[in-house]
Amino acid sequence: MSLFGAASGFGTGGTGVFGSTTTDSHNPMKDVEVTSPPDDSISCMAFSPPTMPGNFLIAGSWANDVRCWEVQDNGQTVPKAQQMHTGPVLGVCWSDDGSKVFTASCDKTAKMWDLNSNQAMQIAQHDGPIKSIHWIKAPNYSCVMTGSWDKTLKFWDTRSPNPMMSLQMPERCYCADVVYPMAVVATAERGLIVYQLENQPSEFRRIDSPLKHQHRCVAIFKDKQNKPTGFALGSIEGRVAIHYINPPNPAKDNFTFKCHRSNGTNTTTPQDIYAVNAISFHPVHGTLATVGSDGRFSFWDKDARTKLKTSEQLDQPITACCFNHNGNIFAYASSYDWSKGHEYYNPQKKNYIFLRNAAEELKPRNKK
Amino acid sequence: MGRKKKKQMKPWCWYCNRDFDDEKILIQHQKAKHFKCHICHKKLYTGPGLAIHCMQVHKETIDSVPNAIPGRTDIELEIYGMEGIPEKDMQERRRTLEQKSQESQKKKSNNQDDSDDDDDDDEAGPSVQHVAAVQPQAGYVAPMTQPGMPPVAGVPGMPPAGYQGMPPMMPGVPPMMHGMPPAMPGMPPAMMQMGGMMPPMMPGMPGIPPGIPPHMAPRPGMPHIAPTPAAGPIPSRPAAPVVQPAVTKPLFPSAAQAQQNPSVAAASNSLSTAASSEPPKATFPAYTQPSVSSSTSSSSNPSSSTVAKPPATVTSKPATLTTTSATSKLIHPDEDISLEEMKAQLPRYQRLIPRAGQAHAAAAPPVAAGIMPPQQGLPPQQPGMRHPMHGQYGAPPQGMPGYMPGGMPPYGQGPPMVPPYQGGPPMGMRPPVMSPAGRY
Repeated sequence: MSLFGAASGFGTGGTGVFGSTTTDSHNPMKDVEVTSPPDDSISCMAFSPPTMPGNFLIAGSWANDVRCWEVQDNGQTVPKAQQMHTGPVLGVCWSDDGSKVFTASCDKTAKMWDLNSNQAMQIAQHDGPIKSIHWIKAPNYSCVMTGSWDKTLKFWDTRSPNPMMSLQMPERCYCADVVYPMAVVATAERGLIVYQLENQPSEFRRIDSPLKHQHRCVAIFKDKQNKPTGFALGSIEGRVAIHYINPPNPAKDNFTFKCHRSNGTNTTTPQDIYAVNAISFHPVHGTLATVGSDGRFSFWDKDARTKLKTSEQLDQPITACCFNHNGNIFAYASSYDWSKGHEYYNPQKKNYIFLRNAAEELKPRNKK
Repeated sequence: MGRKKKKQMKPWCWYCNRDFDDEKILIQHQKAKHFKCHICHKKLYTGPGLAIHCMQVHKETIDSVPNAIPGRTDIELEIYGMEGIPEKDMQERRRTLEQKSQESQKKKSNNQDDSDDDDDDDEAGPSVQHVAAVQPQAGYVAPMTQPGMPPVAGVPGMPPAGYQGMPPMMPGVPPMMHGMPPAMPGMPPAMMQMGGMMPPMMPGMPGIPPGIPPHMAPRPGMPHIAPTPAAGPIPSRPAAPVVQPAVTKPLFPSAAQAQQNPSVAAASNSLSTAASSEPPKATFPAYTQPSVSSSTSSSSNPSSSTVAKPPATVTSKPATLTTTSATSKLIHPDEDISLEEMKAQLPRYQRLIPRAGQAHAAAAPPVAAGIMPPQQGLPPQQPGMRHPMHGQYGAPPQGMPGYMPGGMPPYGQGPPMVPPYQGGPPMGMRPPVMSPAGRY
């Protein structure tokens, strides 16, 4: 992972590059590289919602910035705009109409960035870094949900400096996901809380974690009727749990699977187990993608309980991923996630965001 | 028990004698454990299929089925789920199941009277069975907890060998027994018989073996007693010495998953559920069991050594990854806080609470270039400089790091968060730098 790679001169000009032809392992999958990537680790990404024409990608990074690119149909990426926080950005999300981007940062604030005017204003304040931010659009209200390391989950009407609601959590928020009317938050100490958002947000259930290690990422999935029905939870121990909220047969329906591990079986060397950094569900197929500290991404079909694909290994961990609104594009970010501690941090190493055509590879597998 | 036509018993794996709730799960198990290529991990459907695959694709021969118990490793037998199991083994299995229940009865009757051999016929009676139902429970657990298991293995060359197939059954039996008496009239007889067999076998292994054959003999005759279709075709049990010391291995590791204490009672529960692949913790798309156990048992223990640090087990949370025999290693720093929290502790990222002045500092980097010399004497300011990235859209932040070493150990947590503007001169430079930050 420490290879810088010889090809440091690969173009970051304004024109999109159709997958660099360099053979060093920074892009073994030969995917499209996003131009002008951030200068520090990418922590979060999000594609624009279907309400907006075209595809716009937002990425927050440890360089305190949030960048926006337009992804054109021919694969070219055009940097559009950028906003700054005063601390690393840990979470980003779009409003449902695609006109605003919400950003959450270690500087304990969250901002609302109006893309039309390119103005950003602060809309939230916490006592600790804000790790997650999500836009909630309910029939009778709309708000921004922020989860912080100060152990609170706050809901903000963007027009008021005071939160509409503040819920106490047992521990620091490590990750969250929202698909109305359900929200899931995974906290430190393996805490797991499900909230229901109808009428007003309230705690629905605290769940005993299906995983035995620190929670790292969570993503809600929907059933055939497009209603949120469960979530996938990833830990630092190369494992993802698929958990349904009200399954007919929990023993059979809920399960975990291992991923992002090195070696296979029957080798004399110990197996390296990597953290699962992010999970994203394909908006159309319902299959999921996981990215890990091992520098690989994998696609899975949770209903057929099979793996669809695993990528080649990149020379850096993959820290974030997301699908665009119709599932044609899969974006993943290659940057250092601190999994090997401080010693392996090389600020000179470039960070990348890759785009991959996801229309075919994520089709569900027919059950055997 | 659900369906009647289940070969009169729950689906079980011929290769390792494990029980499953469902044939589908059994097949998944077989594909993952026995029919998986060790080279490319492709899952085949049958043993011969695996052999052919290895030969054609990897040019390697394989002579035994992976993870199979001794005696059941024939790679040429085409077994899929419950299909293809040799009749001989099916009968042996049924016999084993029956004998287990019989043993429970046996034990009780043995307790009363030693000359029970001929009383086997009576055991089929429901009354005896009911009684047997009660006692065997304790009977099972006891032997199980004892190192009695290994001794069982140690008595090969005899029917007990067949019993060894039972250990996996046993845990399943007690629970079954509970339900039996009240439930299906057909099954109980078989179950009782199974129970009856066990106790005599377990405790006094050395003494028992000789005693067992006699038991065995009557058994064949017994089947007819068990009116259940299950007992129907049970000819003499082959005394195939299916020694399975390994039997305990797959069971307990997965049991270990469910709990930490080795109590058999708990183990038996987990074992019986293990058959149905412990839901919350089972790993499905069948990755190797051993890893599962080591990493899951370690799961209760947090991360372990990383590449960067010696295998120290300093963790705020539970122990460390057991990784017995170093089977796995978590690539994660030892502290049980999130990676983001660790990274955020770096002075480099501790900007927080923007102040007008500090904001300048953020954009200082380019300025720093000019101030280089004066900086020598202002190490504390480095922290402020340290945000080369900020405001530098594409500008080579690499320029910054150059200053770092001079100023202070790179990100050594040592230097406290000193307000960036310690000195006057740099300050003057800052304001102009502000603009980039404001420009989007």
